[in-house]
Amino acid sequence: MNKKHTVSHEIKKRRVYPRTTPLMASSKDDSATDADDSAANRRRANSNTKLFADGERVLAYHGPRIYEAKVLKSEIRKNDWKYFVHYLGWSKTWDEWVDADRLMKKTAENIRKQQALDKKQGVEPKLGRSNQTKSKTPNGIPSYCHLVLSVGSSGSKGKKRKHESSAEKENTAVEKVVGIEIPQTLKKQLVDDWGFVNEQNKLVELPRSPNVDDILKMYLEYRSKKDNMITDSVEEILKGLRCYFDRALPVILLYDKERLQYRESIKNDVSPSSIYGAEHLLRLFVKLPEILPYVNIEGDLLMSLQQEFLDFLTFLQKKQSSFFLLYDE
Amino acid sequence: MNGGVKKKNGGKEDEQDGLSVHSPCKAPNSSASSLRKEQSQVDLELKLLEALEIYPPVKLQGIHRHFVLYGLTEYMRRSFNRQFSGSDVLQMLDRFYNLEMLKPDDEESGILNQVEEFSLPPSYFTKEES
Repeated sequence: MNKKHTVSHEIKKRRVYPRTTPLMASSKDDSATDADDSAANRRRANSNTKLFADGERVLAYHGPRIYEAKVLKSEIRKNDWKYFVHYLGWSKTWDEWVDADRLMKKTAENIRKQQALDKKQGVEPKLGRSNQTKSKTPNGIPSYCHLVLSVGSSGSKGKKRKHESSAEKENTAVEKVVGIEIPQTLKKQLVDDWGFVNEQNKLVELPRSPNVDDILKMYLEYRSKKDNMITDSVEEILKGLRCYFDRALPVILLYDKERLQYRESIKNDVSPSSIYGAEHLLRLFVKLPEILPYVNIEGDLLMSLQQEFLDFLTFLQKKQSSFFLLYDE
Repeated sequence: MNGGVKKKNGGKEDEQDGLSVHSPCKAPNSSASSLRKEQSQVDLELKLLEALEIYPPVKLQGIHRHFVLYGLTEYMRRSFNRQFSGSDVLQMLDRFYNLEMLKPDDEESGILNQVEEFSLPPSYFTKEES
């Protein structure tokens, strides 16, 4: 989150891109340095005027909406920086070159813009993430099934043929985003967690007990007893969660203030799931809607997966007082 | 005396007749049932291959493999209305694919590829409903 760059970039933005009538005296505003430089329109685009870095996550306009994207590469063409972006969660076939004026930094303010546009389109965003529902892909076949349920589709019988199902998806007027509903008390837990780390400089003491492995095991036992039947599918899901957790923890589940502690605690080949506990596992659920779209999951199968996640979160909530701890210096 | 099927003998070995259970002079029943077995094996495999259109085998090697396997297994469960385990499915797949040889596309990991500080959605900090 490069908040510190926002203001200066806005000024730069007005300076970098020449107007269509290059010889006009600058219809540009403010900035004293602009007044100084009458050759602003003829200024070369260079590494100083590049707004977005390769690999950076940004927000991009596409059609009437804003999508989360990643800058894959960039070039100067016709004295302008152009950025080749990939829309997250969408097939590579959508990747394209765009001007900087279609891109924005991923700040809280711009995320709000994104949500505002979503609302306008009649779509409810969940957990601050926009849903990505483009109606057609280049092949006419959806490349990814997002966390989307098509209203009126024959999802209950499963999709018989590929072309049938894609025709259904294209015809549905209304699509619902199915997010992951985190219970209110757990949301509060997350906010408190944020406060402890970022405002009070208090980190969780590691290693945690119970750790993520313990918690997942306890949940499996709890489910086996409760359902009194084969819990093979639950096991598979838990393995999947553990897999995501171990991979995601150092990448997207830590606050910057926790990085030193991470480096000190995770040495050799120790798995994060054996060291970290409920606090960080919960953060995984916040990010899960962004991780899962890369798996193709069909309509009502998605619903049962949602339900499994919800069951797990309810279990965490039940055990909140024993799984989550107060923090340490 | 009895080419007939002695299934009622329960767990007893059919050695008393001097015939093994797999003797070709078993009654037509059993050959019909083994034919049926073959047929359902074919049905299973067909369904599985159909499922692979949605759950490509290559994803069974990447970070999402457990959820892909979950999807595949559920698909089979619902198609045949009976239990399948993940390992059942993997075993069936083994006939068609050498899964170890498949390499998942790195880009498929999406946000797991780039380090980014964790942040809560703004809605967590305000009292408005999202």
